Amino acid sequence: MRATRFHLLHIVTAVLIAVFLGIHMVRQHLDALLYDSEDPSSWASMIDRASSGLWAALYIALLAVALYHALYGLRGIILEVVPSPRANRIVTWSLIVVGLAAFGWGTYVPVHLLGS
Amino acid sequence: MKRMQPRQNNLGPRGWVWAGRYQMERYLYVLHRVTGLGLLLFGVIHLIMTTFFRIGDEDMWESTISVLHNPVLKVGAYLVAAGFVFHALNGLRLILQEFGFALGRPSPPVYPYKDALRKRRPWTVGMIGVIVALSAVLLYDFVSGGW
Repeated sequence: MRATRFHLLHIVTAVLIAVFLGIHMVRQHLDALLYDSEDPSSWASMIDRASSGLWAALYIALLAVALYHALYGLRGIILEVVPSPRANRIVTWSLIVVGLAAFGWGTYVPVHLLGS
Repeated sequence: MKRMQPRQNNLGPRGWVWAGRYQMERYLYVLHRVTGLGLLLFGVIHLIMTTFFRIGDEDMWESTISVLHNPVLKVGAYLVAAGFVFHALNGLRLILQEFGFALGRPSPPVYPYKDALRKRRPWTVGMIGVIVALSAVLLYDFVSGGW
C-alpha cells in the first residue's frame, strides 16, 4: 500500500517536473524565441533571478520534486539487482540520506543568495 | 502429465540492443532508462555547478560558464536537452498508458487481433514526431550560440 503511494508520488513529481523544468528550460535556452534579452547564463542575469523570491521558490520546488523523482527512479533500477530485503533497506535509506543532504545544501544556497 | 512451459520471453542483456517481439516500445523503455540515468548525472553536476561556484564571485561564475562553452561539453549539454525532451514525453506516454487514458474503449478479441500496443501505435509515432521537432528547435538554439 505504501509502495503504491510512493509510486503515485513518482508520477505526480514527473508531471510537476515537466512544468517546472519546462519553465526553466524555456527561460535558459529558448529565451531568444520569446524576447530579446541578455545571455541568461551571465552573472548579471543570474543575480537578477537569484534576488527574486519567485525564482528561488521555483528552483527549490524543482529541486525537491526532481530529487524525489530521480532517486526513486534510481532506487527502482538498483532494487532490480539487489538480492535481499535487508540490502533493499540499506539502498533506500542511503538514497533518502543523500536526497535530504542534497536538498538541504541546494535550498541553503538560493535562500542565502536571496539576501545578498 | 506434460507440464506447460512458460513462454520464453526473457531476452536477457541482449534485450538492451535487440527488442525481439517487443518492437518499438522496448527501445523506448531502454532509452527512458538511459536518459533517466543521464539526467540524474547531469543533475548532480548541475547542482554542484550552480551552488559551489555560485557562492563565489563573478569571476568564478564566468570562468565556470566559459568552461561549459567548450564544444565537447556543448554537445553534451545538447544531449541532456534532447534527453530531457525524450524522457518527458515518453514519461507522459507511460502515465497515459498506466492510467488507461487515450487508449480507447476495450473491445472483444476478434481475429485478426488488434492489441492495445498496436492500437496506440499512432500516438507513439506522434509523440516521437514531437520529440524530433522539439529536439530540432533546441539543436537550432545550441548551434546558433544560445546557451
